[in-house]
Amino acid sequence: MALKSAIRNLRNKPDVLFIRLPNILSLLCIVVGVVWLLLLPLNDYSRHTYISENALLPGQVHAYFTGSEQNIFRGYKKELEVLLNEGRENDVSQDEVAVTPAAHNKLHSILQAAGLKVATQKYEYTSAGITHQGENIYGIIHAPRGDATEAIVLVAAWKTADDELNLKGVTLALTLARYFKRWSLWSKDIIFLFTPDSKTGTQAWIDAYHDLQPASVQPLPLKSGALQGALVIEFPFDHNFQSLHIVYDGVNGQLPNLDLFNTAVSIASGQMGMGTNLQEMWEHDDSYQSRLKTILRGMTKQGLGYATGAHSSFMPYHIDAITLQPKGHGWEDEMALGRTIESLCRSLNNLLEHLHQSFFFYLLMQSNRFVSIGTYLPSAMLIAGNFTIMAIALWMRTGFYSDPKTSTLISEPTSEKSSGSKAQCSTEVKIKGNPVAERLLAMPLTLVSGLHLLGLVPLWMFNTLSYQYFTTATYTFVVVDIVLPLLLAALLSNGLGLSAPIVPQQYLLIKSFALLLLGLSLSTLATLNFSLSFMIGLLCAPLSFITRLQGPSAPVRYAVSTLGLLLLNLLSPPIVLLGVCWYTGVSVETVMTQAAFGWDVWGMWTSVVVWCVWWPAWLIGCVLLGSSMF
Amino acid sequence: MAVDRRKVAVFSAAFILRLVLVCLFPSLPDLLTGRVEVSTPVNSFKRLQEGLFLYTRNVSPYDGGVFHQAPLLLPLFALLPDVKGNPVPTAVFYFLVDLVNAHALATISESGQSVQSRLHSTIRKHIRWDGASVAAWFLFNPFTIATCLARSTSVFTTTGILFAVSNAVSGNSVNAMLALGLASYLSLYPALLFIPLVLLCYDQRAQKLPNTVSFIMQNASILLSSIAGLLGLSYLITGNFWEFMSATYGFHLLVPDLTPNVGLWWYFFIEMFDSFREFFLGVFWLHLASYVGGLTIRLRRQPLFVITSLLGVFAIFKPYPSISDASLYFAFLPLYRHTFPFMRYTFFAISAILYASLLGPAFYHLWIYAGSGNANFFYAITLVWSLGLSILLADSIFAVLRDEWEQDHPEARGSEVKQV
Repeated sequence: MALKSAIRNLRNKPDVLFIRLPNILSLLCIVVGVVWLLLLPLNDYSRHTYISENALLPGQVHAYFTGSEQNIFRGYKKELEVLLNEGRENDVSQDEVAVTPAAHNKLHSILQAAGLKVATQKYEYTSAGITHQGENIYGIIHAPRGDATEAIVLVAAWKTADDELNLKGVTLALTLARYFKRWSLWSKDIIFLFTPDSKTGTQAWIDAYHDLQPASVQPLPLKSGALQGALVIEFPFDHNFQSLHIVYDGVNGQLPNLDLFNTAVSIASGQMGMGTNLQEMWEHDDSYQSRLKTILRGMTKQGLGYATGAHSSFMPYHIDAITLQPKGHGWEDEMALGRTIESLCRSLNNLLEHLHQSFFFYLLMQSNRFVSIGTYLPSAMLIAGNFTIMAIALWMRTGFYSDPKTSTLISEPTSEKSSGSKAQCSTEVKIKGNPVAERLLAMPLTLVSGLHLLGLVPLWMFNTLSYQYFTTATYTFVVVDIVLPLLLAALLSNGLGLSAPIVPQQYLLIKSFALLLLGLSLSTLATLNFSLSFMIGLLCAPLSFITRLQGPSAPVRYAVSTLGLLLLNLLSPPIVLLGVCWYTGVSVETVMTQAAFGWDVWGMWTSVVVWCVWWPAWLIGCVLLGSSMF
Repeated sequence: MAVDRRKVAVFSAAFILRLVLVCLFPSLPDLLTGRVEVSTPVNSFKRLQEGLFLYTRNVSPYDGGVFHQAPLLLPLFALLPDVKGNPVPTAVFYFLVDLVNAHALATISESGQSVQSRLHSTIRKHIRWDGASVAAWFLFNPFTIATCLARSTSVFTTTGILFAVSNAVSGNSVNAMLALGLASYLSLYPALLFIPLVLLCYDQRAQKLPNTVSFIMQNASILLSSIAGLLGLSYLITGNFWEFMSATYGFHLLVPDLTPNVGLWWYFFIEMFDSFREFFLGVFWLHLASYVGGLTIRLRRQPLFVITSLLGVFAIFKPYPSISDASLYFAFLPLYRHTFPFMRYTFFAISAILYASLLGPAFYHLWIYAGSGNANFFYAITLVWSLGLSILLADSIFAVLRDEWEQDHPEARGSEVKQV
């Protein structure tokens, strides 16, 4: 009863219905969205991982990679080490971890001697004025029991994701190639891929595997069937290791099927008895804080969308891939890693169809605990929803006040007839036969779509500039971000010199359209890359609540809007970038070079979201606030 | 002359925009051509290329079962230079077709038929847009631009329909029927527009032609003979009458290709047991055709609006709809600018359509490329898309009926509508 009368009262108070209520609802959406995320690490909201795909049977086979294979491993390692050292002595100027042609040829001959079909592929990428080139070498074991329609990939890059020399990883892959070749149980082809580094090599290879390579990348002379999974081996140090660090993030926040991760965890910890880590959480005590920290680290990586290792390039082609990194000081040697990989390959070999049973969207908080999309998606959707709520409220408000000139004060009770629902409101407005009640859409629509198109300019600029100009360009952009809103606001208050002067209703419409587009883009984005949508949503949250100030006295208005603009500028894309760079100690140039590289090579579209979704929305917010000065 | 100058500005801006898009993003046309939202089996430019390849090598274009479009398109496109080597002439040809369409639309708008016809005269004549604005809404609609860049052959059907209507409102019923014949020949469904179009022609010259039946028969015979002529020409081109009939119109009617599109048929017919297929094909077509009678009778006074609404219905319930059908419907809507104040759910309908047009490609990506989604994702979005269009359609019909009612009851203007 009380509720009913409260709703009835609400109808009679349009200022509450259209101004206060949406504000409260929007704020509530944001708060609930954030709290929701914070609840996820709790036991009640997360689940134990489990293997969905029966065929995988992790750890059910005995791994035979021991004993005499270790001698072969040592022999290969010695040979490669000598060749690398020789190369380094001959050419002092060379990078310490660069691969010598002699070592490269050695790989070729070892693989060939082991009975594999071997081929090479040269590639070259240019991004931000830097040229990356190299040569991939790969060998294929044709399955004795298969028909060459399916394959598994084992990757060893000469340089790990952290740019260390991956000598033992490469040697292990070579030893495994020789060892696997002698087994007759493989029903899928096994491809051993050796790339010069973890950033470009796999991308060039996988693009060419699917015949989608750019002109600067050679096509592959030798191919196999559809790739079912990929494992990347890293072992960049000489001592024995303690635990296995599993890296799983792909480009643009795409993740491998959870079954692959689970299989790796189950084999490593169950069969081999070594620990597993994820997201660089070396000290994970399974407390709430550790879980939350793991989730947040995972979200940051997912949100930024860059490739976290050689495995990342496989993900866009729907090939599940992970990187296995040995970490810490312990008693596990390369043979233990080899057995883990053998067991993983046996599991993948069992697969009857592509991994599809388990989750593709998940947040991991511990190697055996996760939340699935159904549980976490509402938090990003609520944050995206807050913008839509505000947009709808603003739209209805512009229809409600028939004469925009009388609605100068936000809190002023309206002189219109205020009985009836929304539908009635809009008809009432029309009763007067007053064309003024019509919404003036042309200018707001043009402005909002124009500013979104303007986002293409920084997008283009930051992806084509040479790397040495990135720092300057970023600082220039900070200045542009301060000047441009004020300039636009000044122009707007004069009606852009073209049309009639702008009326207050149009400011509301501009805000409504901008927020509608923002909510639209973020909710779409949430289905593709939850973390990015969540982060951008939080950074844009203030935009829901800022509006053109119409206070009575000019000095107060000036002061408040200047302060507001200053605060808003702290949340502008370039300032956020500079802040993050300062906090993490990475140079702006590195970040921007990496971003341009991601755009050019990996097809990473984080920068599209930043410049064509976030920046225009932010700019419109600033223009609205800035217009209170004019 | 001021109006003319505006029109020239709109047309040249639209042309330049398209040219800039093609020059700045050379891969955009091919990308759009591959999108299921734009290209369906019956209007895809890729499939046309396949048919053209076979045609120029003297093989029947319908061999191979990929090409399902009207045969007369083949000699037309054979005249244009090869699109692989030189895509610009084809692109410019499509730009010009778009401009021609916009011109026809501007003619319809300038005739004022939407606000005043023989049986109807709205009291809100002052709220309307001129031809240039209506053409601008058409030309700058992202859906129109996407269709144009994707070189979908639906634009020729659009041309046929728009010319049929623009000739009808200028009282030229012979040309209207010829244009409708072309549209029906190209994609079959425009034939359903015959009745409202005849009424539109009839209203335009009612004073001179008192005999309704003979007028309708006369126009029907023009339409039929124009279609027969086009079919005869097609026969000359292909040489095998039944082969092309079954590959084109049979394909339209029996819906054998269930490639996903924005419509409602494909998923339904994937799920269906084969024994029920014929029955439901009949039901679906009957459902689509049934709107003609109802709308024509209820909105007898405004045949132009019947055509508009039918185009909306087609955009939702056609077997192979694409965004080009929606863009044609959106092109006609601004003619009813005077009823916009009565529309109640525009914002929600447009939001739903916007959501669908962003989420559709995203879910299609998750389904087909990322492999992390499935067909239900995309189908759900096509439902939202259709829902948005349906709301818009129902709302515009409500607004027009309300406008008619106010014309009949001037004393009750502005009173509230109550749902009973």
